Amino acid sequence: MSMIYKVSYVVSDGSKPGSIKNEQERPIVGDRVRIGQSNYKVVDVYEIMPPRGEFLYLHATVEQVAEVRV
Amino acid sequence: MEVVTLLQQIDLFRDLTAEQLAVISNIMVEETFLSGDVVFEQGSVADKMYLISQGQLEVIVEYENGKKESVLYLGTGQVVGEMTLVDEGRRSATVISAEDETHVFSIPNATFTELCATNTDIGYIIMRNIAQDMSFKLRHRGSETIE
Repeated sequence: MSMIYKVSYVVSDGSKPGSIKNEQERPIVGDRVRIGQSNYKVVDVYEIMPPRGEFLYLHATVEQVAEVRV
Repeated sequence: MEVVTLLQQIDLFRDLTAEQLAVISNIMVEETFLSGDVVFEQGSVADKMYLISQGQLEVIVEYENGKKESVLYLGTGQVVGEMTLVDEGRRSATVISAEDETHVFSIPNATFTELCATNTDIGYIIMRNIAQDMSFKLRHRGSETIE
């Protein structure tokens, strides 16, 4: 089985709640992620706990991306 | 997706064999929520926990002054309501569906506790994994406080 990335997403300024969810691919800086009804950009990623089995535990800091309405 | 395959992607069930996962799958019930649907309310009696197979749940805490705060979103592969397996207390937060077609599997606490008691191999691994999941959530909350 391939790795599963359990990610703790934290909003950098604390203005919105973060999220915990499993990802199939390791998030990297610049990735976009949807939390609740808002979109965010990943600005930092690091391992928060040692890996266990197929699970890798990550912390990701995110910044909100301005919503563009057309 | 086959239920056992799904369970293998949830770290609450890490280190369990396919046979043990099949036993657990027999006591799970699939439920689907639309955006805004209440999964459970703060203060209510806790009778089951939930595994998110698709979508997002929002965790909302109501303080003594009546103020409500959204504190966390939980997505695919996460568990919610597992605290009551440990402390048998009431719900510490309200949980609602944050998007349409949020699929979860619910597991009745009483049935699950009985399964863990009669099959201590399963019980030990799951209780250890619940402790590690709570640790992960505490680290998440700690990071939010620091940042």
